[in-house]
Amino acid sequence: MEDFVSYLHFVVLPQFIDGLIIGVALALVALGLTMIFGLLDVINLAHGDIYMLGGYAAVAALGWGAGYWGALVFVPLLVGVVGWGLEELGIRPLLPRGDRAIVTLLLTFGVSLILRDLAQVVFGTETYAIATPLSGMAKLAGVAVPLYRLFVLICGAAAIVLTWWLVYRTRIGAVLRATAVDPAMVASFGVPIRIVYGATFFYGCALAGFAAVLLGPIYAVFPTMGHDFLLLAFAVVIVGGMGSIAGAVIAALLLSQVQGLASLWIPPVWAETLVYAVMMLVLIVRPRGLFARIGEA
Amino acid sequence: MRKLLDGTHLGAAVAFLAGLLASTHGEAADPVKVGVVTPLSGTYAQIGKQVRWGAELAVKEINAAGGVNGRSFELIFEDEEANPPVAVRKAEKLLLQDKVDLLTGTVNSGSTLAVGQVAERNDRILVTTVSYATSITGAQCNANVFRVNANAFQQSSALTAWLVKNIPGKRYFFVGPDYEMGRSTIAAFQDDIKRLGGTEVGATYPPLGAKDFSPYLGQVRAARPDVIMTATAGNDTVRLLTQLKEYGMLSGELTLAGAAGAVTQENIGAMSGAAEGFVSAAGYAVDVDTPRNKAFVEAFKKQYQTDPDLFGADTYGLFYLFKQAIEKAGTTDTAKLRAAMENVTWETPQGTKKIRKEDHQAVVDMLTVKVVGSSFKTVGRVPGEEAIGPNNCKKF
Repeated sequence: MEDFVSYLHFVVLPQFIDGLIIGVALALVALGLTMIFGLLDVINLAHGDIYMLGGYAAVAALGWGAGYWGALVFVPLLVGVVGWGLEELGIRPLLPRGDRAIVTLLLTFGVSLILRDLAQVVFGTETYAIATPLSGMAKLAGVAVPLYRLFVLICGAAAIVLTWWLVYRTRIGAVLRATAVDPAMVASFGVPIRIVYGATFFYGCALAGFAAVLLGPIYAVFPTMGHDFLLLAFAVVIVGGMGSIAGAVIAALLLSQVQGLASLWIPPVWAETLVYAVMMLVLIVRPRGLFARIGEA
Repeated sequence: MRKLLDGTHLGAAVAFLAGLLASTHGEAADPVKVGVVTPLSGTYAQIGKQVRWGAELAVKEINAAGGVNGRSFELIFEDEEANPPVAVRKAEKLLLQDKVDLLTGTVNSGSTLAVGQVAERNDRILVTTVSYATSITGAQCNANVFRVNANAFQQSSALTAWLVKNIPGKRYFFVGPDYEMGRSTIAAFQDDIKRLGGTEVGATYPPLGAKDFSPYLGQVRAARPDVIMTATAGNDTVRLLTQLKEYGMLSGELTLAGAAGAVTQENIGAMSGAAEGFVSAAGYAVDVDTPRNKAFVEAFKKQYQTDPDLFGADTYGLFYLFKQAIEKAGTTDTAKLRAAMENVTWETPQGTKKIRKEDHQAVVDMLTVKVVGSSFKTVGRVPGEEAIGPNNCKKF
C-alpha cells in the first residue's frame, strides 16, 4: 500500500502537475480558436502560425534587448494587431458570401503557409532557444517543480480567468455573446459589429501570442511549432465543443492529462496519438462536443 | 638561318618553353578535393563545427608542409542538417558537380549509411569520423565506407565495464534518440550491462530533436534508477540534462553516463553544471599525454579558442590517413586508395590507429572519461584490440 501511495506521490503527481501546465497553455491557444469560430463561423487554420509568429516576435524582442518581461507584454499586442489585420483585410470581405465557411478556410490555410515561409525566410530553419527568465525549483506538495513552469501555470490560469470574466461578466462580453447568436439584431441596436469582430480576432490571437511567449523557454521556437500545436488545439476545440469557452478550457486540461498520464505507461509519441483517438471517439459518440456553443444554452 | 637564332627569337623560345613547363607543373598541382557534408545547422550543428575545425586545421598544416605529393587538399563544405535525405542531395552535388575525390563529414548515422550508398554508386570513398551506429561497419557495411572513430560497441564495452566496477547501484535506465544511432547504441549498452550483472529498469526513445523531455521523465521517476545512460547528443543532451536538473532529479546518488558524443566540449557550456560527473568512453580525450596530442591541442586552441573534442580530433587525424594513403597509392583512384587504407596503421593525436580490413573499422584505445567541472578527465583505459569486438561485416 505504501509503495502505491509513494508511486502516486512521486510519479503520478509530478506528471499530473506537468500536464496541468501544458494544459493551461493549450487552453490559451484553443480559446482563441474557439472564440473566432463561435463568433464568426470561421475556422482559422492560420491560428497555429499566429502562435508561431508570437514565438518569433519574442525572439526578435529579446534580440532588441526588450527582456523577457517586455516581450510578455509586447508580443501579445503585436500578434493581436496581426490577427485584427487578418480579420479586416482577409476575413471580413468574405463574410457576406454564402460559402464563407469554405472560402475562409482556404484563405486562412493560405495565410498559414505564407506566415510559415515568411518566418523561414526571415529567421532561417534553425531552432531558437529563449532563455528561461526564472531559475530554481519550488516544492509543491513534496514534488519538485521548476519555478518557471509554475509561473507559466499561474499566468496561464490568470489569462483564462480574465477571459471568462470578460465574456461572462462584462457588457463587452454580453455584446459578444449576443453577436454570436444574432448579429443583425445586435447591429440594429447601433452596436458596431465590425469592431466586435475585429476585437475578437485581436483578443484571440493575442492569447495565442501570450501562450507562445510563455512556452518559448520550454519548447523553443522553430518554424513548424505552430503546426504541431494547432492539431492539438483543434482536438481540444472539437472535444470541448466548437465555440464553447468552458469547453476549450476543460477539454484542454482533460486532453493534456490524457497525454501526460498515458506517457507513464506508453511511449509519449503514442500518447499523443491516443489524444487524437479520444477526439475521434468524441466525434462518433457526441459530435457537437462536451459543451454548447457560446451564446447558446 | 641566323635570323631564327637572334636574341628576340631565342628569348621568345625560352619563354615559350618555360611557359609550357610551368603549365604542366600547374596541372600536376591539381588539388585533392575532399567533400565535407556535415551538419552546420540543426540539432548536431555543434558537432559539425568541430568536424569543420578539425578538417581545416589538418588541411592547413598538411598544405603548409608541402601537401600530398605536391598537391594540396581542398575542402568543400555542405550542410547536411543532420537529415539523411538532405545529406544525400548534398553528397550528390559534391560528387557530380564539384567532382570531389573523397567524402567525409557525415555525423548522423542515418546520413552515413545513405551517403555511403551514394559514394558506392559513384565509385568514391566515404569516411565517417563521428557516426557510431554499429551497423555502419557491421550488418550494413559497405566496401566504400570507412570509420576512423570508435563505434557504439567499442564505447559500450569500455564504459559498461567501468560502470559496473565503480558504481555500487545496479539499476540502469536508458535514453536514446529514436533512430538508428540511438537504438543501436542503447542496444549495445543493454547487452553489456545485462552480461555484466546489472539490471535494466527501463528504456525510452524520444524523437531526435525532441523539444521537451518532461513527458519522458515520468518513466524515469517510476523506475528509480541508479544510473541513467543516454545516447543523446548535441542539443538533445542539453535539454535532457538541464530538465533532469530542473526537476530536482540529479541530486543524490544518481550517476549519469552515456555515449561519447553525448557531452562534449561544444555543449558542456550550455548545461550549467547539469553534466557534473557524467562518464563516457571515447577514443579521444584532451588530456592524452603524448607530444603529438599536446601540439595538436595547442594549435587547435590557438586557432579556435576552445579545446578540441573527439569529433575535431578524429577528423583531424583522418586527413593524415588520407595523406598517407594517397602517397602510398600514388593516386586518388578509388580501388588503389581502398587497398592503401586497409590493414594500415597511422599516427593520430591520441596514438596509433589501425584500420581493420574486414570491416573498415578503426581499432582505437578506449578512454573512460569523466566530466569534472567544465573539463574532461581520463579515469580508465581499455586497449584497442580488446574493445573492438568481433567482425560482423559479411558483405566484402
